[in-house]
Amino acid sequence: MRDFLDYLSFRRDHIIGLAIDHAQLVVYAVGIATVISVTIGVLVYRRERLAAIAIGVAGTLFTVPSLALFSLMIPIIGLGFRPALAALVVYSMLPILRNTIAGLRSVDPAVVESAQGMGMNRFRRLVRIELPLAWPVILTGIRVSTVLTVGIAAIAAYINGPGLGEDIFAGLSRIGTPTALHLILGGILGVVVLALLFDGMYLIAGKLTTSRGIR
Amino acid sequence: MTDRATGGNGRPLIRLENLTKRFPGQKQNAIDELSLAIPEGEIVILVGPSGSGKTTTLRMINRLIEPTSGRIFLEDEDVTKVNRDKLRRRMGYVIQQTGLFPHMTIADNIATVPRLLGWSRQKIRDRVHELIEMVGMDPEIYAQRYPKELSGGQSQRVGVARAMAADPPVILMDEPFSAIDPITRARLQNEFLQLQTKIRKTIVFVTHDIDEAIKMGDRIAILDEHSHIAQYDTPRTILAAPATAFVEAFIGAGSSLKRLNLTHVREVELVDFPTAHVSADRESVRETLLRSDKGSVLLLDDDRRPLRWVNAIDLEHAHIPLAEAGLPATPALQEQATLYDALNEMLTSLQGSSAVVGEDGVYRGVIEIETIVAAIRSMRADARQRYRGEEGEDPAGDAEQSELVS
Repeated sequence: MRDFLDYLSFRRDHIIGLAIDHAQLVVYAVGIATVISVTIGVLVYRRERLAAIAIGVAGTLFTVPSLALFSLMIPIIGLGFRPALAALVVYSMLPILRNTIAGLRSVDPAVVESAQGMGMNRFRRLVRIELPLAWPVILTGIRVSTVLTVGIAAIAAYINGPGLGEDIFAGLSRIGTPTALHLILGGILGVVVLALLFDGMYLIAGKLTTSRGIR
Repeated sequence: MTDRATGGNGRPLIRLENLTKRFPGQKQNAIDELSLAIPEGEIVILVGPSGSGKTTTLRMINRLIEPTSGRIFLEDEDVTKVNRDKLRRRMGYVIQQTGLFPHMTIADNIATVPRLLGWSRQKIRDRVHELIEMVGMDPEIYAQRYPKELSGGQSQRVGVARAMAADPPVILMDEPFSAIDPITRARLQNEFLQLQTKIRKTIVFVTHDIDEAIKMGDRIAILDEHSHIAQYDTPRTILAAPATAFVEAFIGAGSSLKRLNLTHVREVELVDFPTAHVSADRESVRETLLRSDKGSVLLLDDDRRPLRWVNAIDLEHAHIPLAEAGLPATPALQEQATLYDALNEMLTSLQGSSAVVGEDGVYRGVIEIETIVAAIRSMRADARQRYRGEEGEDPAGDAEQSELVS
């Protein structure tokens, strides 16, 4: 235990550096996934068949084991940051897409009808009424997706992706040596702390961006 | 008794011509060749059993449902094919579930259409303020509140204010008061009628409740299946002379009682009752009581609002302060209430009389059950006259009606 604390204080800058890379990868992935998923959600939520297909596809991609998906990226994009990002985007889409569709569908039809009856066109209804009302549900999807991605991003190191996975894989490759356990534990600790930090941020963001009228 | 239908100038503001709607996959027309002229400044009620297509008809006027064929005219302009969103900004729209935007404040809700029309901020702010006051609420308290903080009645008031925001010539209302408890509903109806005497909008109002139709309508269109008009006339004429067996059945039993809805409290003579200030001393109240021929005295507060009824026995109980003695005189009847409301009030409160107040809440007089009995008696006399074949209604009014339906 004492050894591990010494290790942490000795390697602090290194771990923090990895955590920042890790967070960056997650933010990019979730950001891209949000744009894609919300757009798809908006396009399909009123069409039963299309919505089922979209969720089906995202769900299927979600069930591919992460190690396999990362490996699949090698022949397509190669090694490094970009394939890791691509794989994470694929993973983070399902929760956001599902919540976007569910959120938009949960908007009271009477509210949408009265907006329509007052002369708001389709675009304005979507931007001013439906998306703001669906926002808390969509944001929950983004939050779930982020926490999930923080975990999976650790595996990105397998294809030379950046982040705390580097230490974990480094530890795994030299199992038996005295520092192996420290490397692995340090990586895991970083992942957990990062996940908690993201979660707290979303809690605050939710408070700030949700209208008082629907809280 | 005055006829409310004479209030407008009779010029049709909305005309529906052979309006037909067939929904995809249906064999029959949901709405079949409906033609209707809606006069400017009047409340026209569409009433009928469920499935008669009254809501579909209303939603075709602002083209939330596009007609399969037929034409819609607004202010003599054919609006069947014009831009829908622009058309809707010329028509207020109030629905039963209020449809207030829960994520916006009351002020923002009301400002919706003015913002769409690009009004200046100052103009919008002033208008919102004015409208909240107009529907009987305090802008200081409510402007920045959210819909979830309002009661059902308040929500519907805001719904009405929102519909009137850009001062549209037309307001469409789909069962606006149906989801509200009966006491609040009657109050909202009365306030709305009061408001209408000032704003004189052309209102198309859908309800399934014939009593509400009789109370609110200048004219009533009774719709049978597929929106076939069974009768389109003033409430008075419909009650006196139902055109078909369907109309008669729809009006239902007790149509003479329903006619109590045609007369408003302000149109009958009120009884002058002995009154006293609530802080007056017991002796002077007792003297007032002795000097009158009534059994009780009405106590008023500083602003002359009715508070309590007290009789001789209540005055004996010296240990009870006058402000708590006797029976409550609240809620007092408003002048816009109908005799039907008045009778209802008396039956619920088990009192033979009810205090009447003006818009300002100030005591105006007392209505007694005898007044209502006299009204019923005169209606029965009317009915007997009709039975003998003596035309009781104004024939000129009938001619005007048939013109409107054609």
